[in-house]
Amino acid sequence: MRNDFTRREFVAATAGAAALAGCSGVRPMAPSQVSIVRAPEYDGRLYETVRGLLAEHRLEVRGRNVLLKPNLVEFEPDGAINTNPLLVHAVFEGFRALGAASVRIAEGPGHRRNTLDLADAAGYFSVTPHFEDVFVDLNLDDVTQVSPPRQLSGLRKWYLPRTALGADLLVSIPKMKTHHWVGATLSAKNLFGVVPGGVYGWPKNPLHWAGIDECIADLHGMFPRQFAIVDGIVGMEGNGPIQGVPKSVGVLVAGRDPVAVDATCCRIMKIDPLKVRYLVLSASLESQLMEGNIRQTGESVAAVATPFDLIPEFRHLRLEGRG
Amino acid sequence: MPLTLLKQKQNADGGWPYVRGVSWTEPTAYAALALLAAGETEAAGRGLSWLREAQRSDGGWAVQLGVDHSAWVTALAALVPAERLGLRAHARAIEWLLSATGQESTFGYRVRQWLLGNAIPDFDCAGWAWAPDAAAWVGPTSLAILALRKAQTRRPSAAIRARIESGRRFLWSRMCNGGGWNYGNPRVLGRDLPPYPETTGMALAALRGDGSPKVGQAVAVAGRFLAECHSADALNWLRLGLMAHGRLPEGYCPPSGIERRTVLEASLDLLAASAATAGSLLGS
Repeated sequence: MRNDFTRREFVAATAGAAALAGCSGVRPMAPSQVSIVRAPEYDGRLYETVRGLLAEHRLEVRGRNVLLKPNLVEFEPDGAINTNPLLVHAVFEGFRALGAASVRIAEGPGHRRNTLDLADAAGYFSVTPHFEDVFVDLNLDDVTQVSPPRQLSGLRKWYLPRTALGADLLVSIPKMKTHHWVGATLSAKNLFGVVPGGVYGWPKNPLHWAGIDECIADLHGMFPRQFAIVDGIVGMEGNGPIQGVPKSVGVLVAGRDPVAVDATCCRIMKIDPLKVRYLVLSASLESQLMEGNIRQTGESVAAVATPFDLIPEFRHLRLEGRG
Repeated sequence: MPLTLLKQKQNADGGWPYVRGVSWTEPTAYAALALLAAGETEAAGRGLSWLREAQRSDGGWAVQLGVDHSAWVTALAALVPAERLGLRAHARAIEWLLSATGQESTFGYRVRQWLLGNAIPDFDCAGWAWAPDAAAWVGPTSLAILALRKAQTRRPSAAIRARIESGRRFLWSRMCNGGGWNYGNPRVLGRDLPPYPETTGMALAALRGDGSPKVGQAVAVAGRFLAECHSADALNWLRLGLMAHGRLPEGYCPPSGIERRTVLEASLDLLAASAATAGSLLGS
């Protein structure tokens, strides 16, 4: 089991990802597969649903280190702010069943420093046995200095947690929410929680000054090995990500390509992904966001779409027509 | 128990990690202060050596040795008594703190806002940031005020007094509607934000001796948090904040079952244990 990740290895991995992205500019894009599955409640059926999702995407993780990154924001057990702990545990068990060498859960909340207390209040301790043994507080993890392969923000170098850099697969498990600074927060925006508060503060304000959209795109480029599972069972609309209103959608949305997953989530929320700036910046080609370039499996977008209420500042994101 | 944890967690280089791993400035400074307060001078001394070695050429401290810029943790190093840290090292730390502000208080930013026709932040209300090129926040501002107040007691100066007052105005400008503090602005997009226990405790600690009529409102919020909160970090700061205003209930003990999971929580628990130990942070 690898516990570290050298800078040289990181640069090689991200350069490879950038080269692949560059290649896609001259070749037809292979459509990314995105699954939409119905999941009406947070209950025991989630375990079977998640196993099915992972099988469908044929994730080869045997002997690999998998890191689950939920969205933990506030001391709140029952609302729509945090990724539901039962879903995270279902994903945890799903990857263990696939033979991963290690499956850990990690998060670096943006403004509350007492991460484990937050996780406890959000129900993670009661759902995941020995939670403390498998959890890493990314705000306080050891860091390595890295440079983004495609620098879009004002930050030339980043300090990122070794646990996240060293993972063979980073699994982003966000909540499907609107966001009062960027329109929507999904799997790409969830990577803000990878950035260590120990270096950047609570909140991670240097990222705001360097450009939130650009920083999301930079982070996306620095983690080329991702899988995304969006908790859309109960999402949040309106003044998200904290003060919004719960919104039941009853779905999980998943795939290897976080940009395509987020674009699909946007369409479900009746948000135009081509107007979400960080998605446009993160996409290797704008066509990556087009519905026709995403291989949708499971439910259709139309079957589950429901408009999320948007605050006035983001009403221009509303998806008109089919999108 | 916290004392044992601190001794167990000390790294071979003399510093402390948050939980495990390399040494960071924040847990090292708090652990050294807590051990000094407990009379554990040998372990504290090794921590202080780590701190002295880690001071940067600009007089500040980075959050850990692998990071190449000075930051908010300089306030924590400056909380160490000058004679323990070294008089020159301490004086340079205070100079760094006096020169640091949130980005919104810098001349360049203010000129840019003026040129853009935007509102210009109050220059007389400058706080401290977590990191360079970022705005001021309640947490680092509170800690900088604590450090400067101790320095002001030891060697009074008009410059230090001015920054303390400026920082306090920053804190009052960020108080939530109804009392207490969120981590920054009290309102976002026209909506009130709720106060948090840990930031409310920190701000109250920094406002020790402040005669504002708003203190009572903030103390009341902190008192309510103290009764219902189950986070070690929050309870530590609430105790310190209420103690700073003589409002910690007599004989108060944190509820049983509160876990001190990090070096930070164990250190602050030791420091908040009594008025004598709290003096390391709050001053005499």
